[in-house]
Amino acid sequence: MNSPTPTKRSRRDFVWQTGGGFAGLALMDLEARAGSLLAARKPHFPAKAKRAVFLFMNGGPSQIDTFDYKPELTQRNGQTYKGPLAVGSNNRPVGYLMQSPFEFRRRGQSGLWVSDLFPHTSKFADDLCVIRSMYTDTAAHASGCLQMNTGSIFIGKPSMGAWTTYGLGTDNESLPAFVVMTDPRGGPIGSASNWTAGFMPAAYQGTLFRSGGAPLLDLKAPVDDATQRRSLGLLKELNEQHLIDHKDESELAARIQSYELAYRMQTEALGIVDLDRETPETRARYGIDAKLTADFGRKCLITRRLLEKGVRFVQLYSGGGHIEDTWDGHEDCITNHRLHAGETDKPIAALIEDLKAGGLWDETVLLWGGEFGRTPTSEGIGKPGRDHDWHGFSMWLAGAGVKGGQAIGATDDLGFAAVEDRVHVSDLHATLLHLLGLDHTKLTWFHQGLNQRLTGVRGEVVRKVLA
Amino acid sequence: MASAFLFLLAFAAPPDFDREIRPLLARRCLACHGPTMQKSHLRLDQRASVLKGGESGVPAVEPGRSAASLLVRYVEGTDPKFVMPPQGPRLTAVEVDLLKRWIDAGAPYPANADASPAAPDPRRAHWAFQSVRQPAVPGVKDKSWVRTPIDAFVLAKLEARGWRPNPPAAPAQLQRRMYFDITGLPPSLPEQRAFRGDLDAEAARLLASPAYGERWARHWLDLVRYADTNAYERDALKPQVWKYRDWVIRALNEDKPFDRFAIEQLAGDELPDSDAGTLLATGYHRLGPWDDEPANPEEDRFDQLDDIISTTSQAFLGLTLGCARCHNHKFEPLLTRDYYSMLAVFNGLERPRKDRTELDSPIGPRAVVGRAAAMETRIDTLRAGFRLQWLRGSESKLPAAAREAFLTPGNMRTEEQRKLVKDNQKTLDAELKAAPVETEIAAIRDELEQTPRGYFMVERSAVPPKTHILIRGKAGALGPGVEPAAPEIVAAKPLRPEAGSTSGRRLAFAKWMTSRENPLTARVIVNRVWQWHFGEGLVRTPSDFGVMGDKPEHPELLDWLAAWFMDNGWSLKKLHTLILSSNTYRMAKTSNAEYAAADPENRLWWRFPYRRLEAEALLDSTLAVSGQLNRELYGPQVWPAIQKEALEGSSDPGKIWQPFDEKKASRRAIYYIVKRSLMVPLMEALDFCDTARTSARRLNTAVAPQALQLFNGGFVNRQASHFAARIRSEAGADPAAQVRHAWQLALAREPNAAETGKMLAFLRGSSLEELARVVLNLNEFAYTN
Repeated sequence: MNSPTPTKRSRRDFVWQTGGGFAGLALMDLEARAGSLLAARKPHFPAKAKRAVFLFMNGGPSQIDTFDYKPELTQRNGQTYKGPLAVGSNNRPVGYLMQSPFEFRRRGQSGLWVSDLFPHTSKFADDLCVIRSMYTDTAAHASGCLQMNTGSIFIGKPSMGAWTTYGLGTDNESLPAFVVMTDPRGGPIGSASNWTAGFMPAAYQGTLFRSGGAPLLDLKAPVDDATQRRSLGLLKELNEQHLIDHKDESELAARIQSYELAYRMQTEALGIVDLDRETPETRARYGIDAKLTADFGRKCLITRRLLEKGVRFVQLYSGGGHIEDTWDGHEDCITNHRLHAGETDKPIAALIEDLKAGGLWDETVLLWGGEFGRTPTSEGIGKPGRDHDWHGFSMWLAGAGVKGGQAIGATDDLGFAAVEDRVHVSDLHATLLHLLGLDHTKLTWFHQGLNQRLTGVRGEVVRKVLA
Repeated sequence: MASAFLFLLAFAAPPDFDREIRPLLARRCLACHGPTMQKSHLRLDQRASVLKGGESGVPAVEPGRSAASLLVRYVEGTDPKFVMPPQGPRLTAVEVDLLKRWIDAGAPYPANADASPAAPDPRRAHWAFQSVRQPAVPGVKDKSWVRTPIDAFVLAKLEARGWRPNPPAAPAQLQRRMYFDITGLPPSLPEQRAFRGDLDAEAARLLASPAYGERWARHWLDLVRYADTNAYERDALKPQVWKYRDWVIRALNEDKPFDRFAIEQLAGDELPDSDAGTLLATGYHRLGPWDDEPANPEEDRFDQLDDIISTTSQAFLGLTLGCARCHNHKFEPLLTRDYYSMLAVFNGLERPRKDRTELDSPIGPRAVVGRAAAMETRIDTLRAGFRLQWLRGSESKLPAAAREAFLTPGNMRTEEQRKLVKDNQKTLDAELKAAPVETEIAAIRDELEQTPRGYFMVERSAVPPKTHILIRGKAGALGPGVEPAAPEIVAAKPLRPEAGSTSGRRLAFAKWMTSRENPLTARVIVNRVWQWHFGEGLVRTPSDFGVMGDKPEHPELLDWLAAWFMDNGWSLKKLHTLILSSNTYRMAKTSNAEYAAADPENRLWWRFPYRRLEAEALLDSTLAVSGQLNRELYGPQVWPAIQKEALEGSSDPGKIWQPFDEKKASRRAIYYIVKRSLMVPLMEALDFCDTARTSARRLNTAVAPQALQLFNGGFVNRQASHFAARIRSEAGADPAAQVRHAWQLALAREPNAAETGKMLAFLRGSSLEELARVVLNLNEFAYTN
């Protein structure tokens, strides 16, 4: 899909594009959503995946402690690294090669290597497609998160969720099309620039959704429901009266509609986060009643409910704020990863299980990973921290359209750098869009003299991922 | 042996193109760079194409200079980023040498190699690249409709279609339209009552009000990517940056001529009469986002310059020159050489900083700034002198070895000395801090602090670094050197900078930019002013006047206005007055089925267009109507209360937002903090601009989260309470009077019978606060007349 170029579009198209309503249609059809900014749209080509979940492990999980098994690193534990790569970031000290303390095992029929950090998720090893040869362009969190989310190390580009929403619209306008849930310890560095719509209309940006209380900003009316309904009724009547003299103004009609949608959103969104009606068995599987897993468990269960309601793109953050509150294990990567994996492993497994049981698995694609990986060396001497590694790291995809039970690519013997079937972040983006039926070279938005893309001038679909 | 062989070859006759060079090219190069395919737009079998180069914009061959030729660099392939051919074996040493000798001999091609010499670029004829000439005002049939030449241009095209312009809007509606347009606020009750229908007088009064600058400065701030923080990890507050915002407000209120307005921003420090204001104006260069922990420090310098080039070329020139950073522009006649020539203009600028912290600088006339600089030098000298004396003397408690280590220059210290320095730094710092010289320093510092400071980049030398074309935009890949210049397509003559304490390049550029030789600047700003009045420009791509930009329906009107504007001293207020006095501006908004079908975009201006107020105007108007608007002008950023949930997405939710109390926060929204990582949510929902780069127009969306904030959110609900209290106190207890008063304040009109009936019925079951909330959410409240 192409955004209309400003030179070629009519004013009507412009309203169509930005009005969020139903251009050209007057009040006769308030429910009509054809022409809405967020109306569901056909993909470029038929695809199984209709929606996506990005499990963002904020801070940069270590590949050699999770999915990238390196016996050679164990052999050379304690030795000095003498390779050609720039190790670490920001002039932090470089220590010795440090083996993973976590045991790796082959899992499932496929024999995929997964460490003991993920006892629950690894039960679905045959569904996971691990890319062990990811690489990115930056060693800093701010630019790294931006690149993983928007394809660019600079702020201001639309995020993957925004591109997906622009490409496919939503099936349920009573909920945001693109939902983001951050960690209670804080958001990622760069905050909203990670889920922004950039130069596209704000309607495509990610909406922060809280996992408890009122999930959306100003969702709760300041008055009781009867008063709210009565006030909205008056607003609508007066606006409709005004519209009689301005029949051709689709913007005005769209604005009337937005208040009605907002009202429906109040009920719908509050219902989503009300987990009291879930069975004790379900709550237990997601770990909602255990302190360690409660927050991410709630988020995963809410994710399932959002997907059931037709939400297009959900992004969950594990880790927030700084350093050890995220996967950024500079001081003690072992304790750090035990904590963050412990918080997320069981909830993620429960989400996969439920998606499979409920039939959504064949329509949903999952993506797991962070902004980069971690070094096989310790950071400094005598402490088990690991620094940032942007030369090579692991991520996984699973679900609709993904060939599970396989690992693609490889890092070198020590796990520093991707050397085989290297996958750049933009290749991953092209692949994810492809799984959703979108051609990353055709999903463009005309801005500042260029047809802009999520993948910029890069990006190749990783064919091996595809089922 | 091999080198002796090459040595001998070097003295041989130049290679014959047809016999030696063409077969080599044909074997290894022409499949991709020949007659059938021109990868990267490069063709090697034609001399003209070789000299022009491919899309990198760098000639493939510099005749006579093989060492400087890109072709040689690629085929030698010593840098792994630049290797050709991409597949198969590398060229042999003999083959490379053959090419070198051919190039050193002047790269001769046989006469018939360029069968079709390059035709002149047809894009040169593009309308916007031609000089501005004022066209004659066209004749029209209905002369009575023509109040200004603008009307003649508009009416002539309408009459040519047999169309009529819309009738004028009612005077009270026009008053409200003008108020929103010029001040961003609705007319107050006394202003409504005092209005006798003289719109020209009203326009003059409004343009003289300081609210004009507060409204129109925001249009400019969008264009220059203004924000108060740097974005990225720390997203730190830029020191004193708000003074740039205030400078813009003042400049507009004083009607600073636009050419001077532009020159001060680009080169205020290089002006002979530079002062505090012109230095603050150069804050322009420093407004963009920048990463204090860049992924690649070498590239970062050029990313920061790119921000300046992209902003300047789009905001002032309407050219998308930023696209030519890595290769010649794909669509426009803009070359990589143009990009780097412009980079040379700004290459002397530096960002004053200490590590990750940005520093401000003293402002004032040259003498004051000079004195401040001398004081800063004096402090440094005193400190350094005393430190030396202290370390050489015997009063320090530090061991001799440690003192010796401190006296050794950093790069000459031994491992042991480095450790000593590290271990004793704190002790030494404490000793030096207690030194008597610090008293003297404190006195100087006190005086220094009397000098106000500002936020701008500085040029410290008359000789900026040499600028090179960067091949494919890569920082380390130096191509040919370039001199400072404006884009060749619009600038025939080279710049002639006069160096002083700085290079003078920016002043030379700014003078060219605002001269009549440049066809773009006046056209671009006149079109923007039109857009800010009408919602759409005469050119609908306001920052792109290139061949890919919108082709205007009214190029004559644009040129007439541009010439008129320059003839009238680049005065924005005169231009506003002209537009506001036109009948074109005063038409009703009413639609017309026939015209709307034929011209849905209203490109012929048969009616006044419809548009929603921008975020700032909507918030300011809400405060004005509720009676809470604090009209204090200027000053540091205002931190309004925001939803605490909005802080949850931040990495430091507890620290980053300390809201002001309500009275102090009830200022006009132009003073709100613009924090790049956390926008005020209500502003963001109302389509505030993208601050990452220059932004020429606001989007206009109407989505549910926007309605949630406007109907349920704290800001509007607080103002609804104030509004209700105001209505009660001013209109008394009679519901009919209350309704009338609310309507008059918010919409500047009486409610009709149907509206009154609905509201009175509502008031029988709900409170006046509820009614006030509804009124502040009406479509008519959010839309201009």
